[in-house]
Amino acid sequence: MNTIVILLLAFPVVFFLSLLFEGIDRKVHARMQKRIGPPIIQPFYDFIKLFNKERIVPVTASSGIFTAVPIIAATASILGAAIPLASLILETGVGGDLILVLYLLVMSSVMVMVGGSSSGNPYGAIGFSRKMTMLIAYEVPMLISIVSVSLNCNSLAYYNVVSAQIMAKLLLAFTRPSMAVAAVTFLLCIPAAADAVPFDISEAKTEIIHGSLVEYGGPYLALIKLAKAASNFALTLLAATLFFYLPALFDGYVSLGLGAVFSSLVIALIFWLLTITVPRTIFARLKIGQAFKFYWLIPLPLSILSMALSTLGL
Amino acid sequence: MKMLMTDKSDGTKEIQMDYTRLRVPFGPVHPALKEPISLRITARKEEILDVDIMLGHVHRGIEALAENRNLVQALYLVERICGICSHSHTTCFIQALEEIGEIKPSERALYLRTLIFELERMHSHLFLLGIMAYEVGFDTLFMFTWHVRENVLDLFEEITGNRVHHSMNTTGGVRWDLPPHIVGKVSASMTSIEKSVKYIYDVFQDKTVEKRLYGVGELNYSEARELCVVGPTARGSGVNMDVRRDYPYAAYGELKKGFSVVVRESADAYARTEVRILELFESINIIRTILDELPNGPISTEESVLKLMRIIPEGETVSMVEAPRGELLYFVKTNGKEGLWRLKVRTPTIPNVLGLKPMLIGCEIADIPVTVASIDPCMACANRITLVDPDKGEAKVTDVSTLRRRGRKQ
Repeated sequence: MNTIVILLLAFPVVFFLSLLFEGIDRKVHARMQKRIGPPIIQPFYDFIKLFNKERIVPVTASSGIFTAVPIIAATASILGAAIPLASLILETGVGGDLILVLYLLVMSSVMVMVGGSSSGNPYGAIGFSRKMTMLIAYEVPMLISIVSVSLNCNSLAYYNVVSAQIMAKLLLAFTRPSMAVAAVTFLLCIPAAADAVPFDISEAKTEIIHGSLVEYGGPYLALIKLAKAASNFALTLLAATLFFYLPALFDGYVSLGLGAVFSSLVIALIFWLLTITVPRTIFARLKIGQAFKFYWLIPLPLSILSMALSTLGL
Repeated sequence: MKMLMTDKSDGTKEIQMDYTRLRVPFGPVHPALKEPISLRITARKEEILDVDIMLGHVHRGIEALAENRNLVQALYLVERICGICSHSHTTCFIQALEEIGEIKPSERALYLRTLIFELERMHSHLFLLGIMAYEVGFDTLFMFTWHVRENVLDLFEEITGNRVHHSMNTTGGVRWDLPPHIVGKVSASMTSIEKSVKYIYDVFQDKTVEKRLYGVGELNYSEARELCVVGPTARGSGVNMDVRRDYPYAAYGELKKGFSVVVRESADAYARTEVRILELFESINIIRTILDELPNGPISTEESVLKLMRIIPEGETVSMVEAPRGELLYFVKTNGKEGLWRLKVRTPTIPNVLGLKPMLIGCEIADIPVTVASIDPCMACANRITLVDPDKGEAKVTDVSTLRRRGRKQ
């Protein structure tokens, strides 16, 4: 009974936390630019306002795909964030859920991309091809780094990786060289997965008018924004718990209870600020070729290195 | 996607689709554009194959309006041609009137005109640098640059009372004097702005900005000469021209030694940006020299403006100034009855916008905003109305009264 309640509560909690984190992100971003910035709950206002707006489907769009895509994207990424959060609270997990979470997160990006191309707008088509290129660039090293984690822990279940850290009383990133390399790879891939500057090429506002999102408005846009926030939240939560599960360092771990979950949420927020907010403040947008080159020259060799090291048992 | 329509012998039409080409409409409404300009771009994947430039979305008929007003009213009207280089327009216009009427402004008035002129150049260049940063997705630099620009706008408010349309010029002089306490403020601001501009120059050499600007939108020397581009766009392509040095006006003749013309050879978007950053330092130097050497004397003639307007005889002349965007040219023909026969404005954007085509062809779609911004287009200055009949393929230029009549009919 308790389990079902927690599972059901995970969805609104993810909704709330991901929009809250986005609000903090916007505020910190503004403060770093000497601006006052919007209130922290601005994303909630945006969500409510967009939901009360008119639904517009362009005549050139294939309306079925166009309207279904935001719902699928939002569901996939909220589910992707809720699974790790719920298994942290319940301290249990299902075998293979790590792969499922990654699939769900890719699913939400792919859905947004497809929605853009189904809109019939040329900018949507350019956004599609750019996002496709970016997916190939960052998704491969990201997946390889997660695979090397599961090789290292001999498990495909998310909670087993966390509990391995609790047993060893050590953060996974500091156990072996292979895991340190995997952690760096995963963190390098987050900005691209989050579509943050310098890798927001597929949604470049000044170049292709938000790319895939160009024709979306009203409730559809609200859902896509939610999907993006939730998938960013899931990525940072994964980084914070898979590689740097700080509560594991405490002696009386069992006595922490929900405190362990809260502290890992705080770490997730810190990772969000470091991997999404800071790059988006201090860099200019790259061109698609330059971004692709970056991902295949640094994170990809790093991920292969971590894979090689973990098969060697290092 | 490009459609090719061919007529078959039996009268039916066959449509062939070329799916490798994509027609991308860039503008007239686009987040990268501050003012409407329409570029029809043909692209294959990310590469640009062809560009078609279309103007005419913000025509306001100012030349015709000026011809219906008296000279004083026209002075305030031409100021409204541009919100960024309003002082350039009034200076250019007033110089022409003063030449026709043989009115000689005092030395102090000419120095004050030059002071506002250089402040305006600074605010225009800082504006553009901010836009450049925004186009490459570097919002932080954009915010910082515009923060610096606020200092210049505050100085305008301090000196003239207005931030945008300064209304500084009047026939035979300027309207506002520079009291000693403001001199101190201006020179203090120059010190702080110089420090900030050095910082901006550093940030523009950042790796990610560099990657977006180097080798983008190249316009080589011969193309620049052929298309007669002007201002920083020309100087970025190695064309050594500057009206301030070549045909000195206002107080630039005396200040000649106080500044140098910045020329860059590399001819890309970065060269044009760098020219503007370095010109900011030159402007700061000029302003410092002006503050040191400001001569004493009256700021305008004794007689009232209306009286002066009446003595301006029939005549015509051409006047030129170096506006922040390049050479600004006015042809003024007065009718001797307080009015104008003809006013012709050639703003720097008209020649510069032609340079866009050679710049863009061969670039990527991602380079369009950067390239368009790098010539600092000011569409509202440049627009003339042309009516095009797409069926007959005819184009004719219309005047404002016909336009007004058409407007009333509908």
